Amino acid sequence: MLKHDRSELDYGQLVKKARRLGPGSGPKLKLALLADVSTQHLTPLLRVLFASNGVDVEIYEAGFDTVEVESLDPNSGLYAFGPQVIVILQSIMKLKSNFYQGQEDRRSFAQAKAGAIEAVWSAIRVRSTAVIVQSTFVLPYERTSGNFGRVTGDSLLDSVEELNREICRHASQHPSVLINDVDYLAAWVGRGHFLDEKLWCLAKSFCALKYLPQVAQNIVDISLASLGRSVKCVVLDLDNTIWGGIIGDDGLEGIVLGELDEDGVFRSFQSFLKELSARGIILAVCSKNDEAVAREVFQKHPGMVLREEDIAVFIANWDDKAANLRRIRDTLNIGFDSMVFLDDSPFERNLVRQLVPEIIVPELPEDPALYVRALSELNLFETASQSSLDAGRAALYKDQQKREVESKKFATLDQYLESLQTTAHCQRFESATLGRVAQLIQRSNQFNLTTRRYSEAECKMMMEDRDRYFPFTISVHDRFGDFGLINVVILRLKPNEGVLEIDTFLMSCRVLQRGVEQLAMNKILDFARTGAYQCVLGQFIPTAKNMMVKSFFEQFGFRQTATSPEGATHWRMETADYVPRKVFISEQCGDGAM
Amino acid sequence: MLHTEIHQKLTSVFRDVFDNPALEISEATTAKDVEGWDSITHVNLIVAVEEAFGTSFTTKDVKGLTNVGDLIRLIAKRSA
Repeated sequence: MLKHDRSELDYGQLVKKARRLGPGSGPKLKLALLADVSTQHLTPLLRVLFASNGVDVEIYEAGFDTVEVESLDPNSGLYAFGPQVIVILQSIMKLKSNFYQGQEDRRSFAQAKAGAIEAVWSAIRVRSTAVIVQSTFVLPYERTSGNFGRVTGDSLLDSVEELNREICRHASQHPSVLINDVDYLAAWVGRGHFLDEKLWCLAKSFCALKYLPQVAQNIVDISLASLGRSVKCVVLDLDNTIWGGIIGDDGLEGIVLGELDEDGVFRSFQSFLKELSARGIILAVCSKNDEAVAREVFQKHPGMVLREEDIAVFIANWDDKAANLRRIRDTLNIGFDSMVFLDDSPFERNLVRQLVPEIIVPELPEDPALYVRALSELNLFETASQSSLDAGRAALYKDQQKREVESKKFATLDQYLESLQTTAHCQRFESATLGRVAQLIQRSNQFNLTTRRYSEAECKMMMEDRDRYFPFTISVHDRFGDFGLINVVILRLKPNEGVLEIDTFLMSCRVLQRGVEQLAMNKILDFARTGAYQCVLGQFIPTAKNMMVKSFFEQFGFRQTATSPEGATHWRMETADYVPRKVFISEQCGDGAM
Repeated sequence: MLHTEIHQKLTSVFRDVFDNPALEISEATTAKDVEGWDSITHVNLIVAVEEAFGTSFTTKDVKGLTNVGDLIRLIAKRSA
């Protein structure tokens, strides 16, 4: 994801940078490219753009036009490579000749082609759990009946439009297929500029070289999102950002909003923000204002689209912005690198970039009518999954604020926990929860012992393989609200060795210190006892973000047995030695309970 | 545009594309003589030359090139 603007996407500059790229650092990613175009100009761009996002990418380039062959042959280089992400890039050029060759069945062309693409995904799925990134087709501009071609319904343009829709529809039914909407990129710059027939003839190039960086960046964005790197929170300035004018000076009647916002500029911007919130991005306010004055706009101004309940954390004071941003981060328990800060003032933007370099601070144009356009161009809000829980997130964080107020009334933590009347539901993975499970696996960074990013397809495999896995989840609610599914544990069963291995243990950070991890550990040991496993093994793999769980196993009385050269620690607990932890959580039994 | 002017401007395009500030080219220079001039950088070079000279070659133009001299003559013809 780009931090500021698109000027970094200059083809010539990126090629130079690629030449000077040193040895990689950061997390590794194995990415395979299958294409019916030449990929030699694309790979250096991918290397540079992944590196500038802190990912050490290893790329497998399949031969020209071998999408089907590589995916269908179990002994192909593709599978030997063992990719985590498979990018399928297909060009309108080849599609076009297919279309013109098949004279007789024009009307079924899109359906047949979509079926063939889906067959490739299925072939891959049998042999690999990689995330598949499928391109759309750039809509062609050639037409043989002029405008009238839209009426006949069997033109090339119609067929490609239908094909794109079909690809996306099929993708919605395959959990680990993501769409690389290259037609969107082409439409943004104009398809006539994007497609380059001469470069196709000379080098089988996907598009004009000038726009190849956008294609590479899109692949990087999608891959990062599938690794759980996505924006979780947008922090808003208020004055001259979500309304015109300064509330402290202009007052409720004077700010540009509603009636005074004649062209609806701020209404459109707020509607876009509200839409982000509806799909799970947390909105926060960070403004230099008196809190009561700032809140009054949200409460009383009829022109406001955003209301107080849309804002999860509201900070308006005269402290410095960096301190306020830190408070927002701490309340939400997320990393700065998943926060976007929007402010109309170039001065404030630069200040924040200097004080908090990890935070994403996009350049905003001077004209607020162009805010949405600027944010869309940066593609800041790429995501790899969406669950119903997303939508209620602002409410969740508000419940959290109520709990904090309540916690101050009790003398001891135990008393407080008891008063919350927390109820938990533990169950093995099931189809209905897989989406949320995969999302947590992709997104959780802090309370995550091993940070293994399994795809939804891999989770499904573990769900079904009862001999080798016991994967379970815990969902929690209390008298203030519903947390939903917040804990994922994957146990590997090795009955012959008498060993139960904790492969994955992760939790959403919004339920810390509630006894959920204790409950989960009690469950694990119960399971070990019933299954006659002599011991439980655990592992802690350190990352830049999970230091909070460094002593996790120690706290439960596990004994450390080894440290690997990379710093991972190995732990062991004899099943008979475990002392069950006291928890203030009652268990709810229901369908699929353990 | 004079051939000497084209030669001068073309040299700076070559230096930029091949990332070599000391690179010298003559009319007789071919891909063999320049480090890193493969089929991939050839495409980068053609696109960079078109952009620098504000001109556009045909596919046939590009396929007919054998050395830098051809390229200079082509630029002269297309930007005439």
